[in-house]
Amino acid sequence: MEPLVQRIDILRRTFDEACRGIADIKVLQDLRNKFLSRKRGYLAQLLEELKSLPVSERPEAGGRINVLKDYIQSRLDEAERTLAATTTASPRIDLSLPGRTRLWGAPHPLMLVTQEIEAIFLSMGFAIEEGPEIETDYYNFEALNFPPHHPARDDWDTLYTTDNLLLRTHTSPVQIRVMERRKPPIRIICPGRVFRHETPDATHLPMFYQVEGLVVDEGITFANLKGTLEYFLKTFFGEKVKIRFRPSFFPFTEPSAEVDIECLVCGGGDAQCRVCGGTGWKEILGAGMVDPQVFKNVNIDPERYAGWAFGLGVERVAMISHQLPEIKSFYENDLRFIRQFMIK
Amino acid sequence: MKISLNWLKDHVKLDLPLPRLLDRLTMIGLIAESWEDKDGDTVLDLETYANRPDTLGHLGVAREVAAALGLPLEEGRWPVVESSEDTAASAAIQIQDEDLCPRYCGILVKGLKVGPSPDWLRRRVEAMGLNSVNNLVDVTNYVLYETAHPIHAFDWAKIGGRTIVIRRAKKGESLKTLEGREVALGPDQLVIADEIRPVALAGVIGGEDSAVSETTRDVFIESAYFDPVSVRRTAKTLGIQTDASYRFERGADIGFPPKAALRAASLLTQLGGQATRGVLDVYPHPRKNRIVMLRHQRTQDFLGVVIEAGEVERILTALGFSCEPQGAGLWKVEVPSFRIDVEREADVIEEIARFYGYDRIPSVATPLKVGEPVVNRRRERIDKIRRLLFHYGFDEVLNQSFADPEKEARFGTGREPVVLRNPISTRASILRTTLAGSLLETVSYNLNREFTGVHIFEIGNVYFRLNEQPVEQLTLGLAGLGPLGYRNWNSLWEEPDFFDLKGTFEALMAQLRLVPFDFTAGSCPWLEPEQSLDLRYKEEKVGSLGCLKKDLALTHGLLGSVWMAEIDLTGLLAKTPPVFQTVPVGRFPSVVRDISFLADRSLPYQDLRKAVEKLGLAALESFDLADRYDGEGVPPDKVSLSLRFVFRHPQRTLLADEVDKMEQKLLLHLQSAFRIEPRTGGSIDNRARKN
Ligand SMILES: [Zn+2]
Repeated sequence: MEPLVQRIDILRRTFDEACRGIADIKVLQDLRNKFLSRKRGYLAQLLEELKSLPVSERPEAGGRINVLKDYIQSRLDEAERTLAATTTASPRIDLSLPGRTRLWGAPHPLMLVTQEIEAIFLSMGFAIEEGPEIETDYYNFEALNFPPHHPARDDWDTLYTTDNLLLRTHTSPVQIRVMERRKPPIRIICPGRVFRHETPDATHLPMFYQVEGLVVDEGITFANLKGTLEYFLKTFFGEKVKIRFRPSFFPFTEPSAEVDIECLVCGGGDAQCRVCGGTGWKEILGAGMVDPQVFKNVNIDPERYAGWAFGLGVERVAMISHQLPEIKSFYENDLRFIRQFMIK
Repeated sequence: MKISLNWLKDHVKLDLPLPRLLDRLTMIGLIAESWEDKDGDTVLDLETYANRPDTLGHLGVAREVAAALGLPLEEGRWPVVESSEDTAASAAIQIQDEDLCPRYCGILVKGLKVGPSPDWLRRRVEAMGLNSVNNLVDVTNYVLYETAHPIHAFDWAKIGGRTIVIRRAKKGESLKTLEGREVALGPDQLVIADEIRPVALAGVIGGEDSAVSETTRDVFIESAYFDPVSVRRTAKTLGIQTDASYRFERGADIGFPPKAALRAASLLTQLGGQATRGVLDVYPHPRKNRIVMLRHQRTQDFLGVVIEAGEVERILTALGFSCEPQGAGLWKVEVPSFRIDVEREADVIEEIARFYGYDRIPSVATPLKVGEPVVNRRRERIDKIRRLLFHYGFDEVLNQSFADPEKEARFGTGREPVVLRNPISTRASILRTTLAGSLLETVSYNLNREFTGVHIFEIGNVYFRLNEQPVEQLTLGLAGLGPLGYRNWNSLWEEPDFFDLKGTFEALMAQLRLVPFDFTAGSCPWLEPEQSLDLRYKEEKVGSLGCLKKDLALTHGLLGSVWMAEIDLTGLLAKTPPVFQTVPVGRFPSVVRDISFLADRSLPYQDLRKAVEKLGLAALESFDLADRYDGEGVPPDKVSLSLRFVFRHPQRTLLADEVDKMEQKLLLHLQSAFRIEPRTGGSIDNRARKN
């Protein structure tokens, strides 16, 4: 009996498919003949097959065929009624009417950019690590080679809690926490919220997103820092983008570098360019070789291991790549802005 | 730091166009943020770094430029007009607190005529953005901007006695500063005193009483080295920042005080004064220059490029370092006293890299060793949640972590907030304890901008204190108001209701494979108790969802039902879901049966569901509420429910009477558990359904 039951089901499915969207009385007539014709209809064929079953199984199988027959009959009758109604009411549907769109939520641009950055580093074998936003002075400064009372701290204006903890000024504390926990090789990026005691203006807010990266292993060189960051920037901004590494200073790296890309607006051709100030370059990230003191602070031997690190502001990268003049557009959450990123 | 090109040219014979110069400066780490032409001069605004106080003067910048261009540095000649009077015969210096002042120098310049500065001096001072005061004051500023070493001039006539004492202030002492402010002093502050009283805050600011004026004739020039931390603390505590404190707190050149004193004396004598003979130099424990051993191989290992020994030596020598070869591939490098930033081999290598040129170092991919797998499951699951919410039509927003304590209080979260000690404004003085506040502001912001329906979510931390410890809880917040989706020419105005919200979270829990989950009475303080539920997983509350309290909605100018939820993702994502597994697709036909009955209106569907589950019928594949009706023909205290049951046996086709028995069992079970009345009239459907 099994094969027969299966065929009944298949037939039902076939009918359902065929019956969907009948727009013509002739098609409907065809269907009626195909399925219900007393001589050559599919159901007639099934009834014929009943005879091959043992007598005991015939009643149940017969019942099933009859249920299907009733079903097909009623569906076809219903379709005929609908068809009759529509053909008299509206002769033809205007197919040039707009289609029906389903709403699909849009990702926030900063999340999108963060993920684009993450994806590039993930493809190079980096892991994603996270850490607390409320930090201690040790992880945010001291372990990163900012001695207490060092003026370098002035460049990282800090928000403090009432119990002398602080809101991390960068995601670098995550690097320390990971190096304390794991031995090299280490290859991570650390995305997250960071905070500065900064009065809001066109390009600054007291809270923003950062992505930092860290590589620690034997035989890591400054050439590796350049190679990997160049690969990242070319993947993100396009193969042809010009990149410049120039010396800078961060307490936790030595040597330190700042990395610029050519101005995407003027390409260096406009002395009055408002985006790059006529320099032709936009600063995109900070980087450097991990300072030996930082290694000592986490008990990694700086004679055996070397490493490089970088950090970038997600808002800044998003502003440069989408040519947005104001950082606040990310936090106004104007859906007319956010929904544009649905198709990115 | 402002740098005048004319001034720079005193020290290095520059002869290249401005863009080329700016480019060279940039590539050694001295980037000009801006520049302007002024009186036939060009003044650059150079970005400088906290570890490089030597670049806070023209001489230091000239040294870098000279090294970069391969030109000689000219420190200049500083002739002094000396009288026959010995400085030591007229003045004395006594350092009492050597830990805070290891070196102090002084010289007297007498017979000055204070008056307007000559043009060349006035122009230099003005190029630095200062107003020219008089020749005496201008000279002290000139020395600071030329050498980066701050000096101070006391009116010698106003100094009590002939001894300058450098000591910690005593409790109860005070000083009226040049700014006219009276500051109370104590042992934390280092002062310069005469034999009677403090006359200056060491390295920060001079006192009014001993200040030079139009009538000053004789001055004592101070040129010293003060402990950076001490200067910084004093400046911070008293809220006084000066050009001098800015340099001392970064670290002055301990080798330079006699030279700066001479430089000042030279300029003042050019303006008519006469210096006493010899600089008084009290330096009880002279410090030796630092020695760093540099390995040639290490340079290569660190930078990834071979830099010839000759080039290494050339670079270091040009920067004022001396390098003495110690056999093959090793140098003994002596660090000049003005380079306080260079202490270790890595620091020396940075200097080599800087002047070799970052652009000449090759770009090589970082070699990858096979390590542990790097998947971050937590972030993957967060992304699953985001994608699900996009599918349900919610847009993603992000808000700042700060909150206004007054506004936050309206939500009555009962959470003790994390309070900021130095907030940017009182309206952002705590960290948010809920996402609801900023979500509602976002909803009303968008309703005021042509939107009729706003459906949004945010994933971010909320912050609170638990047993005094700060806690960061990753939270999903969601808010929706008005119609969801695009209006189309033939679509209806459809506003979601509670069951859309609930369905979203049922789907979310299923998506995370955290089943079975449960809903219990709502406990969220800002949701309507009658229209909200708590979501639980394994008995533990993970969040709430429902309708925002009407008064809170009105406070935000919102009319209508605002559907909101807040879910603790830190808690939820800590749960380990079962491994994903497929279930074999049923090969045998299923049988569908509907059971319809009247039930008490007060009977929660959840109870019915649990009763069916408890029965544990093996062949019951699934069941669902197919219909709920409470209109005509149904008594007012009752509701008509139809449950649809799907039966299937994994190994064979179910027989009709087997299904009949199970259906009977279900009905009897429900009848005994609840007061339900089966509806008569063919509620049982014997149709076989496709498998
Ligand atoms: Zn430009």
